[in-house]
Amino acid sequence: MQNELILKVENLHTSFTVGPLNIPIVKGVSFEVYKGKTLAIVGESGCGKSVTVHSIVQLLPRNGRIDQGTVTYIEDNEEVRLDQLQRYGKKMRKIRGENIGMVFQDPMTSLNPVYRVGDQVAESLMQHFKMKKKDAMKEVISMLKKLGIPDPESRINDYPHQFSGGMKQRVVIATAMICNPDIIIADEPTTALDVTIQAQIMELMKELQVKYNKSLILITHNMGLVAEMADQVAVMYMGRIVEYGSLTDIFEHPSHPYTKALLRSVPVLGKQEGELLETIPGSTPNPLDCTVGCEFADRCEFAQEKCRIKDVPYRQLTPTHQVRCTLFEEHPEVVK
Amino acid sequence: MAKFLVKKILAMIPMLLAISAMVFFALELTPTDPINYLISPDMASSAGNIEALRESLGLNDPAIIRYFRWLFNLIRGDFGYSIISGTSIREIIMLRLPATLELALVSLVLSTIIGIGIGLLSAINQNGWIDYVGRVMGVVGISIPQFFFGIVVIQIFAIQFGWLPFGSRMAPGQTAFFDRLHFMVLPAFTMAIAMTAALLRYTRNSMLDVLNKDYIKLARSKGIPEWKVYLKHAFRTALRPVLVILIFRLPILIGGSIVIESVFSWPGIGSVILSSISAGDYPVIMVTTLLVAAAILISSIFVDIATALLDPRVRFE
Repeated sequence: MQNELILKVENLHTSFTVGPLNIPIVKGVSFEVYKGKTLAIVGESGCGKSVTVHSIVQLLPRNGRIDQGTVTYIEDNEEVRLDQLQRYGKKMRKIRGENIGMVFQDPMTSLNPVYRVGDQVAESLMQHFKMKKKDAMKEVISMLKKLGIPDPESRINDYPHQFSGGMKQRVVIATAMICNPDIIIADEPTTALDVTIQAQIMELMKELQVKYNKSLILITHNMGLVAEMADQVAVMYMGRIVEYGSLTDIFEHPSHPYTKALLRSVPVLGKQEGELLETIPGSTPNPLDCTVGCEFADRCEFAQEKCRIKDVPYRQLTPTHQVRCTLFEEHPEVVK
Repeated sequence: MAKFLVKKILAMIPMLLAISAMVFFALELTPTDPINYLISPDMASSAGNIEALRESLGLNDPAIIRYFRWLFNLIRGDFGYSIISGTSIREIIMLRLPATLELALVSLVLSTIIGIGIGLLSAINQNGWIDYVGRVMGVVGISIPQFFFGIVVIQIFAIQFGWLPFGSRMAPGQTAFFDRLHFMVLPAFTMAIAMTAALLRYTRNSMLDVLNKDYIKLARSKGIPEWKVYLKHAFRTALRPVLVILIFRLPILIGGSIVIESVFSWPGIGSVILSSISAGDYPVIMVTTLLVAAAILISSIFVDIATALLDPRVRFE
């Protein structure tokens, strides 16, 4: 592959301490992000998508902890182990602001209500590039212009509550992009927006990504969005990636029963009247109950005894396509 | 802003009038007859004398006339006279206000600094040792009544060890601030305890609430240092509810604390209120009550101003 590797996550385990319990949320997640490409992480609510990306930038809540695994960020052929940096140390902060930008789910609550929008976007410029406020504001204005916010010269002096939802999300994207990062992590960036705005925001992100050759980690549960945006897809279920492959691998040859079920439950136009949208039976299990075997077994129509009794290894279907399922035992195990 | 202020201040006038009427007529309804306090028991027999006294004090006029007479005098700056001691109420207030102001200011400043400080540290180190200390302080300070705490500190520091005086404001003949500073230690400390505890709990809870907000995560994702996340992004927004209770405490600067002032025999407005109530000195009760009410109304204007300054969402509405 001529693709340039920029972020590598290997065997990441993250757990949360709740009272006396230690609950594993992310269990051995590995993936790679390439320069200028989009990795989509898909899965139901609560499957550990957000925790995975928050582990990368070490923005876990206080009771969250990375137990195992490595996160490597490659900058100009130099490898930086993010998991070994101090959570709020200088180096980690520099990477968070300058190299990895983040866009969160709900633009309504992502901006501080008491500060002017321009100041909030300019903050990281002033922090990392030691810019004067006046120069930083110039950058902010040109960034907001790029993101399609009308009349940015006067809008930088407005407060977040004077912006609509879509405009706020543009501001949040501006905050993520202002220091020109290599990677943008978008954690369900359009979930809280209405449908017409969703399309605009996604188009905008795609455009920026292609134009400025950014890598994008897109977290979503919207398969339609994945089809439009992604180069690589990781399907997550209960803290594990159950299937990992290129966009074509996942959409043309979905292999894991969970992936197939997800694809079947996408609403499409043109259904017959009375024809029901398929859903996945059962509900997500308690992470404490999943100890051994495949977490999806209880909801899976192909489940067998062997799915539940021992650890299920990843199988390599094609050079780009991996799946964690006992249905593919004729394929070689993935060597780590 | 100016328009808003003028509106607020104008709205205060009918409120004050209503309060003055309520105070006046409520006292009118009580069975206390000031005459009983004015005359010595041996004079009680001569009914003619009493009647003459009533007439000369204007007590026989209808209540409504007496109310307006009192009100106009008040507006002219004539607060009237105490019917017990005969001294002008203005003089009483001028004499007692510095004592109340001094004590209340010291405990207010003390409790604000300590309360907000520990509340902040407590929230930042949630579940750490400082948080446990803060939480225990909060519960203890709020649940122990002030008079009890006052008695305990008097018992320990004044009686057992004899380090500090157990009451009053200064020794006879002393006037310099530093001479009487040690008189203030126990009452100020006792008064500050409960205020600190409430403020500490408010600050802690408000901070914890804000620290869970998405914009804190966004602020961290910008890579700014943690102290900036706490002070610039979290504290500024968390401050609003804290400031509200803080400002609503300002009236104690005028009214003092009845409990503290009587436990420590502190010669402030609070003890004036207490003694005038027990003596039925109704002109004093009316004026002091009105003063405290005015102080509360003014504080509520301050709350509005502070909220508008802190939160742009309020400003533009």
